[in-house]
Amino acid sequence: MNSIRAQWTDVACALIALAAPALALGQAAPLGRDYVAPRTPFGRPDLQGVWSNAVITPLERPAELGDKAFLDEEEVAAFERERVAATNRDRRSNNAAADVRNAYNDFWWDSGTNVVATRRTSLIIDPPDGRVPALTPAAQARLAARPAPGADGPEDTGLPTRCIHFGAAGPPMMPSAYNNNYQIVQTQDYVLIVNEMVHETRIIPLDGRPVPKGIRQWLGISRGHWDGDTLVVETTNFSDETSFRGSGPNLRLTESFRRVADDLLLYEFTVDDPESFTRPWTAQIPSVRVDDLMYEYACHEGNRGMIGILAGARAAEKEGED
Amino acid sequence: MENLHKLAAVLFVATATSRVDAHHSFAAEFDPDQPVLLRGVITKVEFMNPHSWIHIAVTKDDGTVENWEIEGGTPNTLFRKGINDETLPPGVEVIVDGYRSRDGSNRASGRDITFTDGRKLFLGGSAPPAE
Repeated sequence: MNSIRAQWTDVACALIALAAPALALGQAAPLGRDYVAPRTPFGRPDLQGVWSNAVITPLERPAELGDKAFLDEEEVAAFERERVAATNRDRRSNNAAADVRNAYNDFWWDSGTNVVATRRTSLIIDPPDGRVPALTPAAQARLAARPAPGADGPEDTGLPTRCIHFGAAGPPMMPSAYNNNYQIVQTQDYVLIVNEMVHETRIIPLDGRPVPKGIRQWLGISRGHWDGDTLVVETTNFSDETSFRGSGPNLRLTESFRRVADDLLLYEFTVDDPESFTRPWTAQIPSVRVDDLMYEYACHEGNRGMIGILAGARAAEKEGED
Repeated sequence: MENLHKLAAVLFVATATSRVDAHHSFAAEFDPDQPVLLRGVITKVEFMNPHSWIHIAVTKDDGTVENWEIEGGTPNTLFRKGINDETLPPGVEVIVDGYRSRDGSNRASGRDITFTDGRKLFLGGSAPPAE
């Protein structure tokens, strides 16, 4: 982990040097403006490798920060120090219910220790307030109509509990509690993105083929193309149950990947779903290259927690009958 | 400096409220009203996803042995720290401070697992302490 930390520091220094004039004005600089990415044998920017998006910057800027879009170095240091100390899972709580929810020791967790290298106060870069736009009345009604999770059977529990879909695995890919790694593999005609969370793999054609109608998938259906040196991936055809921050099945998600330094991949995504949000919104998560392996996350096979959850619910019912 | 702390606190609340839990909520599986403190010898470690399980044999006061299964987290984070099947062999004695399963079986959350000398498991080197 120390090597990752060192890479973060290097990347942050490079970026801050690049962005310093704009940061002084509280604005984002075009990252990697003068950087030329190495090429694949077929002439495209080489994005291949394992990238970490383990950052502790919140998705939304706290309302109290108003229009403060960037932290300075001192503020970053204070936030990272206090956050890492306060969220250490080895800390016990006097509240037993809270203590149970914290699950297990800190060594099992891997949610990062650094803010984004740009020092932004939120992952959301648009709208300018750094916050998720309001849900439409239709989206609010749709979410309210969803059945509350239960434990009559496995299908009553949430998608992650059933090992079907983890929101953080995306698309869009978000930082989470652990497994914050994704690997990109390129061919001339396809891009493969493997996310360590649930070891999902997206095989994305680049040949402009149409999206089939009448098919919906947990991860949607993705098509990619190159816009200069930026890989753009558009995803539609999400399942009715896939939802990101309130999005619906007609979400059009646009992700972009641009290598802005040897060790930094600028990942952005735009959520465009007029049925659900009052305006489109965009987030940016600079991802750091890590010299690491990807590990499988074969979730369903070992999901004995499900047995415990259902057995616990049956025991509670029996207790109620007695 | 005070302003720095205020800013850190504001940001912390933002990240804390969006903090992610384990793969599933342990609250549905383990009972806050049944804390357990177990001292036992590891008989098997299952480094598997979504959560690892550590099996321990607990010798009770009357000499009989109870087998317990202790739930931890994903092994992937441990693999990155150089910890794997070979670094936590059976025979090591540990203390588990956790919560029993809601159905009353011999399963518990590994809320806090330490070696008997108080060191956290997996930290400061993965080898068992010298006896």
